[in-house]
Amino acid sequence: MGDPKLARLLEHPAIWRGRSAAKLEVLPSGFAALDEQLPGGGWPRSGLIEILIGRFGSGELSLLVPVLAALTGAPSARWCVWVAPPLMPFAPALAARGVVLDRVAVVGGGYPLWAFGQVLGSGACDTALAWARQPQPKDLRRLQLAAERGRTLGVLFRPRRAAREPSAAVLRLGLEASAASLRISFLKGRGSTHAVVQLAHPDADAIV
Amino acid sequence: MSLKSVHSSPAPLQVPAEPVLPASTPRLAALEPAAAAAQAGGELWAGLHLPDLANEEKLRSLAAVLQGFTPRVSLEPPDGVVLEVRGSLHLFAGVEGTRRRLLAACADLAQPAVLSFAPTPLAALAAARAGRSLTVLSHAQLTGQLSSLPLSVLRWPQPLVERLARTGVRTVGAALRLPRAGFARRFGAGQLASLDALTASTRVVRRLFQPRERFRRRRELSCELTNHEWLLNAFMPLLQELEQFLRARASGVMQLECHLLHREAPATCCVLNLAAPGGAAAQLAALLRVRLETIVLPGPVRALELRAVTLLPRASRAQALWQPGEHGGSPGSEAHELIERLRARLGEDALHGLTVLAGHRPERTWARSTPPAVSAPAGTAPVQMSSGPRPLWLLPQPQPLEVRAGQPQRDGALTLLSEPERIESGWWDGGDIARDYYTACDAHGVRLWVFRERHAPHGWFLHGIFG
Repeated sequence: MGDPKLARLLEHPAIWRGRSAAKLEVLPSGFAALDEQLPGGGWPRSGLIEILIGRFGSGELSLLVPVLAALTGAPSARWCVWVAPPLMPFAPALAARGVVLDRVAVVGGGYPLWAFGQVLGSGACDTALAWARQPQPKDLRRLQLAAERGRTLGVLFRPRRAAREPSAAVLRLGLEASAASLRISFLKGRGSTHAVVQLAHPDADAIV
Repeated sequence: MSLKSVHSSPAPLQVPAEPVLPASTPRLAALEPAAAAAQAGGELWAGLHLPDLANEEKLRSLAAVLQGFTPRVSLEPPDGVVLEVRGSLHLFAGVEGTRRRLLAACADLAQPAVLSFAPTPLAALAAARAGRSLTVLSHAQLTGQLSSLPLSVLRWPQPLVERLARTGVRTVGAALRLPRAGFARRFGAGQLASLDALTASTRVVRRLFQPRERFRRRRELSCELTNHEWLLNAFMPLLQELEQFLRARASGVMQLECHLLHREAPATCCVLNLAAPGGAAAQLAALLRVRLETIVLPGPVRALELRAVTLLPRASRAQALWQPGEHGGSPGSEAHELIERLRARLGEDALHGLTVLAGHRPERTWARSTPPAVSAPAGTAPVQMSSGPRPLWLLPQPQPLEVRAGQPQRDGALTLLSEPERIESGWWDGGDIARDYYTACDAHGVRLWVFRERHAPHGWFLHGIFG
């Protein structure tokens, strides 16, 4: 392992070396405690991640807003697409948290999984968020491949009970909210332990 | 009649920020072949003056008909057409036969017309404008025949014509008799040039009329098809033909009509809309595949037809070296293709953007917008009107909350976490609101945005979720 050539070769992002320091291309999540536990130190730059939530509105979106703001604000930003959101995202709140609305698009209509796959694989988006009820394992496999192909960070929000089903996502997090904090449990991730992270509620500072 | 449109202006030597040809790339116009001037017997031009012509569209449709006589048709907007007919005379029984046929063509379009023949286009047109049906076959007779025409037929500026009239020059013949040097000095070199064009002392390069092009191809199938995959394969030759057709013309289409013809049922038509002018067969086939999946065919298909009505100029675009997202590659055609694919399956309003509006009422501080620009510089300053916390999700309508013992309920009592934020606005347009907004937390830790009405009955409503 002392060979510098070999060491450089092993830094290639496509080589996964278990829990060792394989270099992943990541995006800082904006939460130091979360970055410590995320493989590579942040959200993956491309690939499908799943966030499993007990109830809609448990703080799952607040968790992602910092990375959305960073990606849409970049000089050569691609789009950030919301596929079939259950409610309409509130534009003034996104703008106030630094998300550049010029880069945000919302896709409605039927076939959310098909649309999500198209968005992920198109190469036109930096991030895509989707809400889907019951994707099949083969759908998730297809979405994961599409996200890698389009170099897109795809986030799929699913109910908590989906934790028992197999998934091809590179990262799966469970999320539970309490009055003052968010509890994030790592269900699956390259080289991650089954750690649990407690975060102060991201909206806590907004409350007087 | 200038050469301006033919020569491209020399482009400054600088590297463009994006490897794209400028949208206004000059295109070569078809011009008169110079060699044609040398043909035996000289040229013979027919000049048509159409005094009642309403618009240029009619002029173009007439010109398209006149191209059946000769390819050398040239427009003289707003109300004239000239065409060179020497080579065609023997096909239409001489000058008289050609005259009859040309006038019949105008009559078919319900256009009264005056027709003259002369060795130069301007002379033929000038005679027709004067209302005379002259037939001048040789240069020798030209000056004599033109002499008596009033000067107004040359369409010179009115003050100039009046000045000439005051000096006693009222006809073309009188103008031609003036000394050239003095004429050019007193009345302008342009006018002298037009006199020269009239008598063919100089040749003028004319721009040929080109009809607007459209693509329409039909393919009869050797057997009737119902399978979508096979139908798509059957469309491929047509799409490839379209691609070649468009590439040869440096054009693209934004709308493509695909007709599927059945034996009995009326034809099924699916219209593909593109977000930017395009024409690659593979791109169109991918769109058509998505589109066909949503269509229920009333019966087997026996023939296919492809129509592209409006061709748009398309600048060719260099392929990027990097993948989008890699090393700062920006989205290009990928975004257009994504919009097209989503619209083909989900409908025209499948995709929209978001924008912020100025105002205080939460319902009216956002709006749907057109899909985001693909490469517009991001950075419009957001309108910042509100100071309090705002939820990431807004309910389409405020949802009434149950109240027990003065406490709003949603799966148990809500805990109010913040001081109230009063929003009172809109009294001027009937949509007035008077509300105290609070951040609340329910028993499951979900942050909610609720309000209490200031007016009786002081109801509690859920209006947003912090997410």
